[in-house]
Amino acid sequence: MIPTFIAQIVLLLFVFHMLLIAAAAMVYAERKVAAMIQQRLGPYLVGPRGLMQPFADVIKLMFKEQLRPLGADRFLFMLAPVLSAVTAFAAFAVVPFGAETTLFGLLEEPMRLQVADINVGVLVIFAIASMGVYGIVLAGWSSNSKYSLLGALRSSSQMISYELSYGLALASVLLVGGSLSLTEIVDQQAGTWWGFLPRWLVVLQPLGFLIYMIAGIAETNRAPFDFPEAEQELVAGYHTEYSSMSFAMFFLAEYINMVTVSAVAVNLFLGGWHGPFLPEAFGWIWFLIKVSVLLFVYIWIRWTLPRYRYDQLMAFGWKVLLPLSVLNLIVTAAGVIYFAV
Amino acid sequence: MLFYLFGAAAVAASLMVIGQRNPMYSVLFLIASFAALAGLYVLLDAPFVAVIQIIIYAGAIMVLFLFVVMLLNAPQEDISRVRVMVAPSTRRIGALLVVVLLAELAWALATAGEREVWVSAEGLPEGESSVRALGLTLFRDYAFAFEVTSVLILVAMLGAVVLAKREL
Repeated sequence: MIPTFIAQIVLLLFVFHMLLIAAAAMVYAERKVAAMIQQRLGPYLVGPRGLMQPFADVIKLMFKEQLRPLGADRFLFMLAPVLSAVTAFAAFAVVPFGAETTLFGLLEEPMRLQVADINVGVLVIFAIASMGVYGIVLAGWSSNSKYSLLGALRSSSQMISYELSYGLALASVLLVGGSLSLTEIVDQQAGTWWGFLPRWLVVLQPLGFLIYMIAGIAETNRAPFDFPEAEQELVAGYHTEYSSMSFAMFFLAEYINMVTVSAVAVNLFLGGWHGPFLPEAFGWIWFLIKVSVLLFVYIWIRWTLPRYRYDQLMAFGWKVLLPLSVLNLIVTAAGVIYFAV
Repeated sequence: MLFYLFGAAAVAASLMVIGQRNPMYSVLFLIASFAALAGLYVLLDAPFVAVIQIIIYAGAIMVLFLFVVMLLNAPQEDISRVRVMVAPSTRRIGALLVVVLLAELAWALATAGEREVWVSAEGLPEGESSVRALGLTLFRDYAFAFEVTSVLILVAMLGAVVLAKREL
């Protein structure tokens, strides 16, 4: 029997390492899926089917020289990648990924598969995500390079514009869920309607889910909204001047942010760890499957759609997505009052 | 214990805001100060207010500040060697304000014990979240003030647009 305190610390380390491994797996998946879509083989030399490729990449990055441009602000230049990575990790702390479990009787009392159960969990994720902008802005400014600065400006104005729609989509699903706690919202989605339709909130909030996913792609700076890294125009945007591990940290942050956005989407819209066939204790398998599907969609979109033009991106964000999400919020609020859900 | 930690961090960061030569660092220390304030709110059993503090002040407003500083490319104030000349009248006004502020602070600290606590978390029924209580207070008891504030912000926004775009 293991006391809960130690179990919490083990869980903390476990989540930390799972996020690292998830980022590595995403790098591999991204390259393999891209290769499949483009009728190539992708990485296949390092390890069986190229599975060791991400580790080879990391080792290569570790042995590279850490460069710093002349005239860069030394402290902020070092701080920016760390800030990005820290906020990415911290946001996942409030994401629950499984039902209460005793780990097959190993623990004295059941424990939630979640690092911190905060009753305003959704807002905490939102707050930490909004702090992530600083990593990018500071990276662009402190590099003392025009490409970096332009990339950072684009990226942060894009994130600020889409944060509004993102927040409004969250607000409408929270109205239906009636709680700010992710665990409570997931627990409401257990079971089915009329025996076959799962009680997932995506059924009540299809538009909200769509807005959330689009805004999520823009928030994580992924294609077709990857303007901060528009190679043809900006070299590599805000991380042009970065090399070695500080470059790796930006990459890590990007992939972990994707995992977090997908995990929150699964919790809010797709019923979290609830699903048929599996007992409650194995709910995390459902959770993994759902998150993987969403991440695959992310990669799929990136290699299928071309990049927008910048003015199109801003026009789409402010003139289409924002009015739609406001409309969605109003209709949802009216529905909640009318049906007294 | 935690209170003194957050309080010291907030005060130190605020002092650093005015002590910096580089406006970029001033903005960053202001963010740090806001984060420390959010910690104080958590200690007051108001997690919702704390998170809102981070989202709105540290997350949204300070990003705009950072933008302004970055785009104006404010020169590093390399006037440390030169003694800044300030007109005597400015100094007198400054001194007067310091005296008023100190007197106010002293009065507030001296009478702190006599005042009653207006809001406390203990008054809430069991299971009632602070978010719900806050929402009800804001939209039921103070609905008029809330709406007037939003009209005020709208006016400010329109004014900014009109001033920025003279040839509408």
